[in-house]
Parts: sequence; C-alpha cells; structure tokens
Amino acid sequence: MPNPPTHATTAEVTAIDTQARGPLLLLLGSGLVWLVVSGVLALLTSIQLHAPQFLADCPQLTHGRAQALRETAFVYGWLANAGLGLALWILARLGGRPLRGLNWVVAGSLFWNAGVALGLVGIAIGDMTSFGLLQMPRYVQPLLVFAYACMGVSGVLAWSGRREDAMYASQWYAVAAIFLFPWLLIAAQAVLLWMPVRGVVQPIAATWFAQGVWALWLAPLALAVVYYIVPKISGRIIPVYEWASLGFWTLLFIGSWSGGRHLVGGPVPAWIPTMAVVAQSMMLFHYLIILLNLRAIWGVGGTTAAFIRFGFVAYLVFGVAEFIASFRGVAAHTHFTLFNAAIEQLGLYGAISMIFFGGIYFAVPRLTGLAWASASLISGHRWLVLAGVVISIAALGIAGGAQGEGLLDPKVSFPDMFGRMSTPLLINTAAQAVLLSANLLLLVNFLRSACPWTRTAEPTPTLFRAATEEAHAS
Amino acid sequence: MSTPSQPDPRADTAAVSDETLMASHAKLLGQQPDEKGRYRLMPLNLLFIFSGMIFFGGTYLGRFSGYFSPSVFNEYSTGTAVVAAAPLDPVAVGKKLYAIPGGCITCHQPNGAGLPGAFPPLANSEWVTGSEERLIRIALHGLQGPIKVAGADYNSAMPGFGQGSGFNWSDDKIAAVLTYIRQEWGNKAGPIAVDKVTAVRTKEGARSAAWTAADLEKLP
Amino acid sequence: MKNGPFLFTGVFLAILISFSALVLGSHSQLGGLTPYHDDTEGGSFPQRTSGLAARGQLVYADLGCAACHTQQVRRPGYGSDKDRGWGERQSVARDYIHQARPQLGASRLGPDLTNLGARQKSEEALLGLLYHGSATHPGYSFLFETRAIAGESSPRAVKVAGQAAGHETVPTERARALVAYLLSLNTSYDYPEAKPYEPAKKEEAKK
Repeated sequence: MPNPPTHATTAEVTAIDTQARGPLLLLLGSGLVWLVVSGVLALLTSIQLHAPQFLADCPQLTHGRAQALRETAFVYGWLANAGLGLALWILARLGGRPLRGLNWVVAGSLFWNAGVALGLVGIAIGDMTSFGLLQMPRYVQPLLVFAYACMGVSGVLAWSGRREDAMYASQWYAVAAIFLFPWLLIAAQAVLLWMPVRGVVQPIAATWFAQGVWALWLAPLALAVVYYIVPKISGRIIPVYEWASLGFWTLLFIGSWSGGRHLVGGPVPAWIPTMAVVAQSMMLFHYLIILLNLRAIWGVGGTTAAFIRFGFVAYLVFGVAEFIASFRGVAAHTHFTLFNAAIEQLGLYGAISMIFFGGIYFAVPRLTGLAWASASLISGHRWLVLAGVVISIAALGIAGGAQGEGLLDPKVSFPDMFGRMSTPLLINTAAQAVLLSANLLLLVNFLRSACPWTRTAEPTPTLFRAATEEAHAS
Repeated sequence: MSTPSQPDPRADTAAVSDETLMASHAKLLGQQPDEKGRYRLMPLNLLFIFSGMIFFGGTYLGRFSGYFSPSVFNEYSTGTAVVAAAPLDPVAVGKKLYAIPGGCITCHQPNGAGLPGAFPPLANSEWVTGSEERLIRIALHGLQGPIKVAGADYNSAMPGFGQGSGFNWSDDKIAAVLTYIRQEWGNKAGPIAVDKVTAVRTKEGARSAAWTAADLEKLP
Repeated sequence: MKNGPFLFTGVFLAILISFSALVLGSHSQLGGLTPYHDDTEGGSFPQRTSGLAARGQLVYADLGCAACHTQQVRRPGYGSDKDRGWGERQSVARDYIHQARPQLGASRLGPDLTNLGARQKSEEALLGLLYHGSATHPGYSFLFETRAIAGESSPRAVKVAGQAAGHETVPTERARALVAYLLSLNTSYDYPEAKPYEPAKKEEAKK
C-alpha cells in the first residue's frame, strides 16, 4: 500500500487538544481509577472460585455481588469513561474544531462517576437487579442516562459542526456509539426496571441489552479508535476503505441480534437462539471487512501500535469464537461454563480494553503536550498486561473446558469438577493479580504525566517536532 | 512504513495529520461511481460472500427456527407449530379422580373392595357392571339406605358427585370415573359415554336428594 | 458517507428494528401466556408461590445466587440435565409467568435449582448448607443470628460447634424467606409444549 502524500506541517498538538485537555483527562483518569477498582474486585472473585469461603461471611462481597461489582466497575467505570474520552477527542480532531459544551462534559463526568459509585454501593448493600450489565439499582439509572447525555452532547456537537462535510469511518463509529448508548439504556430500563415485562421476556430483553452494549456501544467505540489510530501511526491509507461502510452497517444492523446465544437450550422459543446463530454468522462479514481494512497496523512499531494490534487480533478472534460458541452442538459443552467468561475476557479485556490502552498511550501526550512521564512504567504495563490478559483468557478457557466436560458427565460431582478446575483457576488468580499490578503502573504513570505540578521541572520533550520530520522523511 | 529505528516509547509519533487523513480517505469514497460510470453498492467478490452468508442464514433460519412459534422449544421440531392437547384417556383421568382424597377412594378403598360391613365393594359389583342408568344416578346424586351388593347387605350413605353437589364434578368427570371403575379390579363392562351422563342429569333436572336402592330398582 | 441525517436515521433504525423484533416481538408472543388449566388435576399451573417464597426470590436475586446457579432445565438429551436429576422435562416459558424476577442464570458453578424443592425436602439441610457452607459452597453466616435461648430452643436453630451454652443460632427473616423460596422450586407439571419432540426419523447431527 503506497504512502499517501504526507506533508504534515501542522503541529501535532493543536489548539483542539489544549482546549479539551482538562475534561478529557478527567474522563480518561477516572476510567483508569475504575479499572484499578475493578481489578481488585476481579482478583477477589477469582480467589472465591477456588476458595469459596473467602469473604463469604461479608454480605457486601458474596461471589454474586462481587461479580456484579467487578463487571459494573469495569464496563461503566473504565470502558465508559475511557471510551467516551477517546471518542470525544477523535470527533473533535476529525471535526477540525474545538469541542463545544466542555462544561457539560465535566458536569456529566462528575455525575456519571457519582452514579457509578452510588450504583456500586447499591449493589453491595443488596439493591442489585438480576440482569447482566444492568445490575445497578433502579434509582441510579436515570442519573446515568442524564450524565451520559450531558457528555454525549459535546460529541454530537463536534460531529455536526465538523469543518469538512465528508466523514471518516471513525466519526461514524464514534457518533453511533455516543448517540445509541442512551437509547439502549433507556429501552432496557423501561422494559426491565420500570415496567417489567413478564416471565422469560425479561431474560430475553436482558440479553438483548447486553449484546447491544457490546455491538452498539463498546465495539463501535473501539473501532472508532482503531480506525483513527491505524492510519495516523502507520501513515498508510486504509486498504479497501470503500468497504468500510459495509462493515459499519453490518455491525449496527446485525450485531445486536445475537444476544439469544446466551439462552441456548433455555425456556425461550427456539427461534431466539437460532436467530443468534444466524446473526453471528452474518457478523463474520463485519469481521472480514475489519480484517481487510485494518491490516495496515502490521509492521508498525511503538507502544500504541502494539496495543492496537493485540486488540485488533483479539477482536477478530472474539468474533470467530462467538460464532462457533453460538452453535447448539458447541454450546452443549461450553454453555453455563467459565468458557463464556473466557470469551468475555477476550472481548472486553483483550479487544476493547487493549484498544483503549493504545488510544490512551496515543492521546495523553497530545492532550498534555508532554511525553509520558516514564518509559519503564510504560514497558512494565505493556508486558504485564499482555501476560495477564493472555494467561487469564487461557486459564479461564481451560477451566471452562474442564467444567463443561464435568457437567456433561452426570457421574462427576461438583467437588470433583472443582478439583479438575483448581489449577487453571489458581493460574487465573495469578493472572488477575498481574493485571491489577499492570494497571496500577498505568495509573501511576498517567497521574505523573497528567498532573501539571509533577511535570514542571522536566524539559519539554521534542517528539512532536520529530513527528513532522518523520512525515517528511517518509 | 515510517517507523524510526529507535522510537521514543513515551510518545508515539503520528505519520499523517488529521487533515491529510480525512482528505485522502474522502477522496477514495469520492471515486464512486467508478471510472466506467457505474455506481457499485458493493464489489462483486464481497457481494458473493455476502450472498453466501445470506443463503446460509436463511436456510438455517428456515430449518431451525421452529416456525417462529412461541411454543416450540426444540429447534428440530418439524411438525405443526401448535401443540395440540392430546385427547384424554378417560380411564387415566378416572383413575386420578378416583384417588382424590375425600372422594371414592376413602370408602371404596384403593383396591375397590370397600370395607366389609360398612362400605360396599366396587369390584365384582353388579351395581357397577350392570345398569348404566342406575350407576350414573348413584354417582350424580348419591345413595343412602340399605342395599345388597354381591350378596352382602350394607346400610350407609354416599354423597353425590354431580353438578350442584359438594364435589360439583362435570359430566366428563362422572363419565371418566365410572368408565374407570367399570374396567378395573377385574370388572369388564363397557365405558360410560359423556352424552349418557348428560342425558340422565337433564332428565332428573334439579334433583339433589340421594337415591335409595328401592327407587333405583324401579329403573331399567 | 457524507450525509449526516442519513447516518442518524440508519443508526436509529438499527436499534429500533432489533428492539422491536427481539424484545417487543417476544413480548407479544410470550407476554400474554396464561396458566395452563388442567381439569383433571383441579388446578392451574404453574401454581403461585407463597408470599414468603416470593420474598425469598428477591433475597436470591440480591445476593447474586444466579452467579453460580441456574434455574433452567434443558431438554433430555441436550446436556446432562435429566441424568443429573435436575428435571424430567425441558423448562418452558410458562414455568416463569408468575415470577417477578425469573432467575435463569448463565453459569453452573453449582447445581441447577429449577426443581430443588422436588429433591430436597429438608429445611434443616438447606439451613445447614447456608450457614456452614461446604467444600464448594460459601457459608453465609450473616444470614443467621445468635441469641440467647428464650424458653424452648427454636426448631430452626442450626448446629454450631462450640456454641456458648444457652445460646442458639437461628436464621434471620431473610434466610427463612430464601429457604422457603428454594423449597418451593418445583416444576413437575407437564405442559403440552414441554413434551419432548419425537423425531419422525433419525435426525442427522448437522449441528
């Protein structure tokens, strides 16, 4: 793929970055704090799997509640904040105008974080709802919708006030995610919490919502980041870019149909899991286009590229894994087991989080105007998080396989089954500890880089001039 | 590729500016319609793959959707989507009714032998296997006073089970339980039709008093 | 793509279509399910549970029991649900129509509980498991309270080693509701739609 003519003379740090610095660093920073919180909870729930009496007499942290806390902190604390911060930044940059409504972003972010914190307290004291990814109690949900709408307004304004009429793929994905999430949340709340539907329609609606969180919110946010960063750091035009819009519409129109995969064999009409299989197979088309478009990331060096590349591969593997696991013959072995937890870890951690890490490594120096504070913290985080993610996915997958075989054999009792799973579960605990320490390193590095008073003594890095020279050299 | 040999890990450089990125990609989309003037919604090879997936999806959906019926839970189901209620076997229904606590089984016992001296048997009873008219009336309205069954004398009271009684059984139920006792414990009499029960009940009108053996013997 | 309104409309349609088809569609199919009236059994099924059991379901939900336990039996031949004695038939939508918060669950780190009330009759055993736990089950001692025995000791008191004399450990209101709920779990009635599907001929194992 030939390089486009790159005469990048613009300074790498623009007025757009400087102006949005505070609010966006607030979003990214609070995301990282929640990531550490959820890491602690992940470690705790992982320990509970091989030592069931661990913290059992603490009513706030029964395994069920701790799982819900971990998931909520991870998705609504970390992914929501970081994804929105990156999406706003990308929309502003591609729109070519400074972000408007930044006060709304700050206020919304404070409300959002307060809402998530209140939601976690609510779960811990026993107000948990029983729906996956919607466990936060009813009383914080309107606050969340309001807070997200406040923050999202800025993104939609940045998009509608863009300087160029033409849109780039990142903008489609970012705007769709920011616009759809409040609707998704409102629709799910309405049918599950405010006017609950009857019987098994509840789990059907809950899986629809959980699938929507993935396909209409998190995946588009991650793809917005990838589509932006891949040409930025590789300097190449996206291969077969004219197909990108097909990939976009496939994700939006098909992606949210496959929630029924989590109800296979259950008390729902046969067409719901069948529809999920069909949707997952059609989604392969999306993954194919993503693969063709974003293969330009290969052969690019640097921290950002390493994270984006890993996340990109994990995203594709996740798609194929979901497709295979949606078939009933496969689900007979994997359903109800930790294998699904492994797939979730692959999707939410391996794909989305890694892409966000890459985005953060790329965005923060531009937002602060300074390079990251410590190279060794970066490399420590990079290797620890890589090891942690790979090992935890593998360990959960192996444990899930053993669990699936155990469940299928009626002669295997539950203590026997746990006996077979104990080694991979211990390894998973170790991996969660590694992940937690990795993310602590990132948080420390972020705080050192982002807080102005810690950086005053250091010389201004020169890398952004290097960027311009580099562009000329290529 | 434009990576320096020793990149600073603390900040990745960008190879293109945002303007270049936007412009060079917008140009690509601007190429439609293509050089030959045709507007292509989708390249041919992608269209081929996409059609293949649609075909697979459609076939799979047709085969395993259970006709989108709310009452089909097994995707292999190929029959009609509506699950018809199986016709009930009157003997099976009658057996359940017979065993309802406080009903027949209390006096006539699980083996249909009754209690000697107190309650008459149903097994080998000419009252059970004989006249349908009499049997239906006993079940509908009850029986009291002396009666001779299978050569032994009894004198007790049986409540009615028909509509208006404490049990308020429908004609279906009366027919089912009578059919049951007429073929159980070695009895070998024909079934009692629901219509027959209805006819008898209609003919007796609002009768609620229990029968006596003497009254019944006047009937065919 | 240049057209902003087109993007907005398309994006909104995407969520609208999938919501209508999956959520509203299944609601229109299943939301109006009525109990199945059986004349010969003299009742309608599923039967309503007691108030205590209904409150127990909320305890079950807020403790997060569904993180490890499912309440759905898959059809005989699919998985080992029947062989493990979890249920003779497939769970169907009608089983859940009276439940405020159906707890289908998605993970089986513990046994399925759909028919727990049919195989576990002993309140004492359940209370013991909840208090002490086991090798694979956490012990939730916070659901119990220790008090001085006033008059006779409670029939529900759990055995605790080294209990101070004159004291007993009894379940709280929440624990009793939870146990009542667990004992009420029983879906033994056969609905017509729950009858196993008998293939006319041997199906190819295509999937």
